[in-house]
Amino acid sequence: MSEKNSKLGIGTESGTMVGGAQSQALSSGLRDGARSILLPVILALGVLVLWELLVRLNNIPQVILPAPTAILKIISAQHEILLRHAIPTVLEAAGGFLIASVLGIALAVWLSYSRLAREALYPNLVFFQLIPKIALAPLFIIWLGIGSESRLAFSVFISFFPIVIATNAGFANVERNMLKLCQSLTATEWQTFSSVKFPSALPYIFSGMKVAMTLAIIGVIIGEFITAQKGLGYLIVFATARAETGVAMAAIVVLCGGGLFLYGVVALAEHIANRRYGVPRG
Amino acid sequence: MSSPYIAAQNVSKIYQTRSGPVHAVEGASFAASEGQFISLLGPSGCGKSTLLMMLAGLEKSTTGSLSLSGEAVVGPRRDSGIVFQDATLLPWKSVFENVMFPIEILKLPQNQYQDRAMELLHRVGLSGFEKKRPHELSGGMRQRVAICRALVHDPKVLLMDEPFSALDAITRDQMNVVLSELLERYRKTVIFVTHSIREAVYLSDRVLVMGGRPSSIVMDLTIPFERPRRFEIEDTAEFGALCRTLRQTIEQAHHV
Repeated sequence: MSEKNSKLGIGTESGTMVGGAQSQALSSGLRDGARSILLPVILALGVLVLWELLVRLNNIPQVILPAPTAILKIISAQHEILLRHAIPTVLEAAGGFLIASVLGIALAVWLSYSRLAREALYPNLVFFQLIPKIALAPLFIIWLGIGSESRLAFSVFISFFPIVIATNAGFANVERNMLKLCQSLTATEWQTFSSVKFPSALPYIFSGMKVAMTLAIIGVIIGEFITAQKGLGYLIVFATARAETGVAMAAIVVLCGGGLFLYGVVALAEHIANRRYGVPRG
Repeated sequence: MSSPYIAAQNVSKIYQTRSGPVHAVEGASFAASEGQFISLLGPSGCGKSTLLMMLAGLEKSTTGSLSLSGEAVVGPRRDSGIVFQDATLLPWKSVFENVMFPIEILKLPQNQYQDRAMELLHRVGLSGFEKKRPHELSGGMRQRVAICRALVHDPKVLLMDEPFSALDAITRDQMNVVLSELLERYRKTVIFVTHSIREAVYLSDRVLVMGGRPSSIVMDLTIPFERPRRFEIEDTAEFGALCRTLRQTIEQAHHV
């Protein structure tokens, strides 16, 4: 920055121009920031208003499509029931995600150190990553019953693969010269892993975790669709079966909130890790 | 002359590839005494980096033997420092932490080497940059950090693999001066891989030209300039003559 300034600010005139250009850049930066938040919010609000108008002007019955204000009313009136069902869903999704993260990273570590595991296991992992795992959900009920175990296991099952694949890619993409540097310093495997491999792979791990977090919630909801007596997935199925579309919609809104919250926790962890290990672009 | 500090005897490296064996280096021999600055000079693909990596213990020779301070090279050694073509700094560590990285890995007492790290940074003109991260530095500055890192644990041998070839010509000239001044202060035995003839002549006590097919050492040229050297020697007729000799040798070796 200072180098740029001294280069540009050779004459007094251009010196003032630099200052002007800077404040201009600053204000346009602010404007860009505001735009990037305001535009999507305005669009979303516009869609909600349109939705509301559509329902009111055409007198669409609530069982087909409740208006946003109607859904809001249900949420505030039934918040206790909604919360009671939200808690197990969010907890199971968080649990599934955590177990998947630990297992996924551990497996990726094993893959990076064992050639046999890599050759035998990795193609199968890629294969599993590609198949529609949701189809296997009923089998988990047969194996583990209708309790939270089966939902947790299924949630782990579908969220685990992106973490393994992403972490594995992270370990595989460590700069070769960094590994050579460690080797030349006679570093132990653990030193190389903890001081170079793992920090280098962190961006990959987090991108895998963010995908996994959304999948973990899907896993739990699918499980609740099939089995549960509680949880937001159960509430959605139960309410739609009784033609209480508004309640189902309210449950979906709460689910979105829970999902955003969990995703936000992962994004926050990523942000913290980035401040420690991140490489700002530029 | 005392027994050689670094020696390569009839060293060959053959890579097995799908299209058959590739002879990267064939029967290379040389010896260097302690404190000498030796350049390995040649065009890309002449096996000079391979020879350096074998000296670093990062690659095994197919035949022949290598020794460092009288001991056979069987793997990486704690008493050598290495500089790669790219600075290879850990992006999440500060400049100072990067310089201290070998101390951390070698489990040497941090407090005994902190002053040395600061002094090295001072000597390469990076005082005040200790807390910066690598992405905040220019390419030349990053490579200076890498050189400090290679020297921080006081190795006996400095191995440099085309350390300045990714830099622009002006920065490169500056780096040559920085390195040569640094080595006046911290005398090391240096093996320096380069494909710049002028760089090799300016820095070295001896230039080994690699070339031919399969590649080997085709010339061992002693550079007679006294040290400390000033950059102005590059303008002398003697410097030009040495460069010409080397260029002709490289061309001949290439047209075998």
